[in-house]
Amino acid sequence: MTRSTAIATRELSKTYKDVRALDNVTLDLEPNRIYGLLGRNGAGKTTLMSILTGQNYPDQGTAHIFGHEPFEHDLILSRICFIRESQKYPDDFKVHQAFKAAAMFFENWDEQLAQDLVEAFALPTKRRIKKLSRGQLSAVGVIIGMASRAEITFFDEPYLGLDAVARQIFYDRLVEDFAEYPRTIVLSSHLIDEVANLLEHVIVIDKGRIVVDSDAEELRGAAVTVTGDAKRVQEFIGAADVLHRDSLGALASVTIKAKLSADQREQAKLMGLDLSPVSLQQLVVRSALSTNEGTDERTEARA
Amino acid sequence: MIDDSKPIFMQIAELIENDIISGVLAEEAQVPSTNEFAAFYRINPATAAKGINRLVEDGLLYKKRGIGMFVTQGAPQRLREKRREKFQQQFIAPLTAEASKLGIGIEELVSMIKTGSAG
Amino acid sequence: MNRIMKVARMQLINKATFIGIPLMILISAFLFTVAIWWLVRRSGGDGVLYGGGAQAPMWYFLALGIQALTMTFPFSMAMSISRRTFYLGTLMLFSVCALVLSVFYYLMGLVETATGGWGLDGRFFALQWIADNNGFIQIMFYFVLMVLLFMVGFFIATIYMRWRHAGMVVFFTLLGLLILGIIALFTFTSFWDQFWSWALTWTAGSVSLWGALAAVLMAAGSYLTLRKATA
Repeated sequence: MTRSTAIATRELSKTYKDVRALDNVTLDLEPNRIYGLLGRNGAGKTTLMSILTGQNYPDQGTAHIFGHEPFEHDLILSRICFIRESQKYPDDFKVHQAFKAAAMFFENWDEQLAQDLVEAFALPTKRRIKKLSRGQLSAVGVIIGMASRAEITFFDEPYLGLDAVARQIFYDRLVEDFAEYPRTIVLSSHLIDEVANLLEHVIVIDKGRIVVDSDAEELRGAAVTVTGDAKRVQEFIGAADVLHRDSLGALASVTIKAKLSADQREQAKLMGLDLSPVSLQQLVVRSALSTNEGTDERTEARA
Repeated sequence: MIDDSKPIFMQIAELIENDIISGVLAEEAQVPSTNEFAAFYRINPATAAKGINRLVEDGLLYKKRGIGMFVTQGAPQRLREKRREKFQQQFIAPLTAEASKLGIGIEELVSMIKTGSAG
Repeated sequence: MNRIMKVARMQLINKATFIGIPLMILISAFLFTVAIWWLVRRSGGDGVLYGGGAQAPMWYFLALGIQALTMTFPFSMAMSISRRTFYLGTLMLFSVCALVLSVFYYLMGLVETATGGWGLDGRFFALQWIADNNGFIQIMFYFVLMVLLFMVGFFIATIYMRWRHAGMVVFFTLLGLLILGIIALFTFTSFWDQFWSWALTWTAGSVSLWGALAAVLMAAGSYLTLRKATA
């Protein structure tokens, strides 16, 4: 754990009744990068973020923010912003009152940015938050998260209910503002394709466990799908790490974890095999699925 | 424009290289900033910076402190030479390999190219 | 310290909740009471008239204690406020409100006495049992009562926040059993007569002291419960 680490966890675990929400999570997040926290609904994303922001506490292990445990630590908390996907607001609050409160607590609050975003999202600020649509509610969370300019900002599935245009506004403004005011951003999402290009680093969580923790650029082109005659496909992939396998008669389509050289691509072409790139989303889905298969095998072996 | 086949920083570097070869970015012309690239292609600014830095390392772009990034004198020629070297391996080798598989002789191939580029 | 003040300011963003509504409850309760007294006098009723409406805003504080927690606590988490800071800020604001209102009650009691019960010989603020004491005890009495009611609401709400519905069921079951147990104990040991004669010796001062003790216990219990509550 170096001093430059923004977030560091060691063997973090949390169990709700019989569900293991987090299972031995060890992570290091550097400052001023955009992280993607990806995984299916219920994979443990929100639990992890809650613990990192002191809103919840682990059963085992440690979480450090800028070298300190965030739980009940006002000084550390004041440098973090986390609006949860199901964030509750006081019943009697109007939109502008929520912003007024946020402006009080987040020292780097940028009122101009907040106003710009209100306009961009066409958010009715005089309406009660209780009366907002799902998309408008998401917009309130996005605006607080962005305008807080907190050193570490968590966005928890920020796009729910937002239409394609509004989502694009969010992504565009995020890139723009991040470029000007670099800070650590953790973007939790299950719509991976939409955010893939914004991310510098990707963390994939599945059933409470970290299954991928890698620079986004390293993942791009890290897998390839080989399609063609089943025998030839097998001959080509050899002992490569198989993420997924589909077959249709004599035709096979196999996704392998491998960075192919130009020569290998050439060879595939000569063998009459088709190579297609694997998107981050596919890679994540495949990674999550293949770990599940792994678990099943282990369970069977034990039984 | 950006796809999943390879790292984005490589794709950004190639996009700029193409613009330099085609003359869209002339010698001594200013290149958009990292943040402009990031905003335009909706990519992470650090990734855009990595792509641009690669071209700086290759000597195709140079930095003017506090002003920005510019195309180096002679960059288009150097890029053309580099691509020429690759041309044989990237295009001619697979072309002749496929041609010989189909029983197309060199003479025939040459005449096909001639009609192809004429049409 | 600064953030504690900010929590108080956050609770006051909607001024109606902490100031407007209790004031409205008090004013309307008072006007209704006076109107009734006037009707009673018109129809020839005599003797001193009592009105219990002054306690109306106090009951509102019970609801406020619940509301301050269930509605504002999850939001305060999103504002990156520690539970401790939220607790101290909310309690501080509430104590100030209760104190202001207590002084107001005391002053209105003086006016009531001076105007001969608003000219109708009615007692709304200056109930004999309380008004007989000196000013300090009167203010203390109102203050403790309001804080206690607020703390009861706050305490119940923290239990809900920490253990949700299961916590509510367990809490109220235990509370019911406890009350039932005390009643049974008093009944079987024929303790009721002694109890009532003891109750008659209560004064505003002693009630204030016991109430203060109960409020402090609730406050401590709330804090310990809230420490590990999640939004």
